[in-house]
Amino acid sequence: MDTASAAKPTFATLKAGLDVRAGGRIVAARGDALASGFPELDEVLGGGFPRGTIASLEGPPSSGRTALLAGVLAEATQRGLAAIVDDGTLYPPDLERAGVQLDRVLIVTAQTPREVARCSDILLRSRAFAAVAMPAVPLRATIWSRLGGLAQKAGAVLFALGVHAGMELAYFTSTRVRCAIDSVVWSGESGVLCELAGYEVSAHVLKARRSAPGATAHLQVLDERISHAALRSRARISPVCGTQGRRARTTA
Amino acid sequence: MRGLPRDEPAILADKRDRGHVIECDAAAHALGARPGQTILQARAATGGGVHVFVHDAARTHVVWHDMLDALDAVTPLVDDSGEGTAYLDMRGIAGDPEQWIERVYRALDGFELPVRVAAGPNKFLARACTYAAGGDIGALPLEVLELDTRTIERLHLLGVTRLEELAKLPHGPFVRRFGKAAAQWHDRARGIDPTPFRPRPHEMQIGAAAYGEGSAEQEEQVYFALRVLAERVCSDLSRAGKAAALVQMTFECENGDVQVADAGFAQATGDPRTMLDVMRAKLESLTFGSPITGLRLQALQLEECGAVATLFGQSDADPQALAVALARLQAVTASPAQRARVRPSPRLETRYAYDSFGAVTAPRHDARKHHVPQLRLLAVKEIDVTMRGNQPLAVGARKVLDCAGPWRVDDGWFEQPVLRDEYDVLLEDGMLCRIYRQGEHWYLRGAYD
Repeated sequence: MDTASAAKPTFATLKAGLDVRAGGRIVAARGDALASGFPELDEVLGGGFPRGTIASLEGPPSSGRTALLAGVLAEATQRGLAAIVDDGTLYPPDLERAGVQLDRVLIVTAQTPREVARCSDILLRSRAFAAVAMPAVPLRATIWSRLGGLAQKAGAVLFALGVHAGMELAYFTSTRVRCAIDSVVWSGESGVLCELAGYEVSAHVLKARRSAPGATAHLQVLDERISHAALRSRARISPVCGTQGRRARTTA
Repeated sequence: MRGLPRDEPAILADKRDRGHVIECDAAAHALGARPGQTILQARAATGGGVHVFVHDAARTHVVWHDMLDALDAVTPLVDDSGEGTAYLDMRGIAGDPEQWIERVYRALDGFELPVRVAAGPNKFLARACTYAAGGDIGALPLEVLELDTRTIERLHLLGVTRLEELAKLPHGPFVRRFGKAAAQWHDRARGIDPTPFRPRPHEMQIGAAAYGEGSAEQEEQVYFALRVLAERVCSDLSRAGKAAALVQMTFECENGDVQVADAGFAQATGDPRTMLDVMRAKLESLTFGSPITGLRLQALQLEECGAVATLFGQSDADPQALAVALARLQAVTASPAQRARVRPSPRLETRYAYDSFGAVTAPRHDARKHHVPQLRLLAVKEIDVTMRGNQPLAVGARKVLDCAGPWRVDDGWFEQPVLRDEYDVLLEDGMLCRIYRQGEHWYLRGAYD
């Protein structure tokens, strides 16, 4: 008995070996994760969005979640196919400018939560898509459970975009990222010659499978075609859009 | 021109208004109507008493193919030489030429159209014999050779008006005088025509049906019958070396209703499981009022099924799985799945269009990735905007912190004119949106996200 236990490596030994191999930090294998297109976010997520899971991108309108999704789709369409369940607000020209290969993105329009759920189910069941994006509609826990199972079988990432994840979605997601625009960057002085150059987004990781939650990545969404010579930024002053404000509302 | 008395002049025109005469009968020709005239000219030439028939090309095409199908009963080898002329290879068919001609008349009897049938050793002689009542083709005029008017006039000047006169001319000098094409005319006048016989290809019909085997009230029974039929169809497809891009399902119900549903595949298939999956997806959108008593499957849009030449990339998903997903999505949303295409346009709403999602293209590895602001198109809503000078000061009760614009959009002058000024504004509550002024009204168009 004593001999057998002595032959087994202790947990401390295993952990030490793992720490050495991972450089002191557990990092997901790149093949198991879908890169977001933002290295800073991939860093705090432990390599990207884990494949075979549900991820939620949360934030109010004008929070940068679509810019984040565009980065993911650009990565996904480089090797595979992607699909979007659209609620009628999609603007494809900006997606293409973000590097998304539109001819490799299937777009299906769904109006009701039931349609959204069925379309997502079909898309995941086909195992043809590396990433599927859908609006975070209110659905029962059983449906999210089924979608999670299908995502796992398909090895795809199901992205749910919404103001905030409901309790059911929050339970079944493996990754939750809350977005907020910190500041808006303009090119030129306000007026006719001014142009929207982009914004700086803070992506706060609320839940992650491969890294510790609570970390925040600061991402720059800046249009490279616009001259950066006369850039100026204006911080958003609304407390509604701040992380604390939304957290309080979500908790309530 | 059926139903008219023989002496009633009639012309056939390409269209009813401002049309031209395609053909005219003997009575109309005698009165002065000629092919190529306008209808007005033909009416004027014939004194107005002429019947005008309008050519229906689609119907003519259908009738002609029905006639060819009817001729298949006489011989399996039918050469379709364009609408109005067909040649039949009767070698090996029992009977003599008179019996063959009688069979052709009988086969075409139901069409109630005037037909001329004759037998000959080659195409030209067979056709010429249809004009020569007693089989004396030598007496036929040169027009049988389908020469142009100028050549016929030249031959007439030489005193050649009939085939037998042309046949008597020496071959070499005639060809040297009239050119290489004259060799064929001279050969034909002498009864020589090497034009090969080209039998028309037969359209392959692959299908399976189940009738009179009881009625199906439950879903499982229908699926079972579908599976059996799909396997039969795929077996036939496999034997023929074909794949189907479309399967047509016909359901006959107990109450007499007949429902037809088409299940299309993104890529032609001969796999029964794929076929069944797509058909099941299609059936999700169908409801039947009574039990199904008859079911028929027809494989359509057949393609050669040889080596796989797919547009799908090697790393992409199984095209059959994708085809099933597309069919199921269409069943759920009642509209086909789409892909977006960007196009230049001054207006936001028309800068993209949707196409149906078909074959997947290979990924482009040179696609540049930029992080750019993403616009979300919201439902257009009228808003109140307070202006100071040329710049918005507030949108509703929300103060404008920063603003870019205006940009003048002037489009659609030829149909629905759009003239508006667009602005990007940052509001005090953090909303970053695209608004525009059209006339005296302001609208919210979208929000950056």
